[in-house]
Amino acid sequence: MNTESRKRALRMFFDKLVGPMGFKFTPDAELADFLLEQEVTLETRHGVPFCPCQPIRHDRSRDMKIVCPCIPFHRRHFDAMKRCWCGLFVHQDVTDPDSLPQVPAKELGLE
Amino acid sequence: MSDTFVKAVKTDEVAAGGMKSVELNGRELVICNCGGSFYAIDRRCGHMNAPLERGTLEGTILTCAMHCAQFDVTTGEALAGPVPLFLGNEPPPPRIDAFLRNADMLMKQIRTESIHTYKAKVESGWVLVAL
Repeated sequence: MNTESRKRALRMFFDKLVGPMGFKFTPDAELADFLLEQEVTLETRHGVPFCPCQPIRHDRSRDMKIVCPCIPFHRRHFDAMKRCWCGLFVHQDVTDPDSLPQVPAKELGLE
Repeated sequence: MSDTFVKAVKTDEVAAGGMKSVELNGRELVICNCGGSFYAIDRRCGHMNAPLERGTLEGTILTCAMHCAQFDVTTGEALAGPVPLFLGNEPPPPRIDAFLRNADMLMKQIRTESIHTYKAKVESGWVLVAL
């Protein structure tokens, strides 16, 4: 299986999913490409495209909440940051993704 | 593969986003309609030979109904292997659990191969395939 083809396929699937959730792919094309590549690696290893920036705990009920795009499981947190945890997706109105810091949910008072 | 085109199906027999299996000169094929563009692929999944027309077509990506292996119908390239086995939160009865785990262990040895594609074109309301 070819990584580039799989990245294109994931991009197509994710694009359809995140739009209705109010998100889009980050305008930082290099970052998006890098993160998608990590997801393809994780998918090859685990069979599922996990978020590349969150730990796999081998506890299915928790791990399923970090399958990309994991926005529905962390909606309040991601909406507060205007980005998802790894930064692959940002709110549709975001043009400068570098201005959006990664803030733990605890620090935002969401846990 | 020759460039002898053979009539496969009428274009109105396959709705957009749909698939139909056909047998042409002893070969099993699936005709895929990707938003008005037609593609012809081998009918059998590159993972475990399941009939691919029973799967789903999203854009140009076909997902097999059996274990969710995915293929690009434009190139036949395998894009993903089967999804991992999940036995549920409650463990199944021991004999079933042992059977499923054994099947899973065997399935892990199976590679997902790309599938063969055929040239296809539309002429006079027919999808023609080069065999």
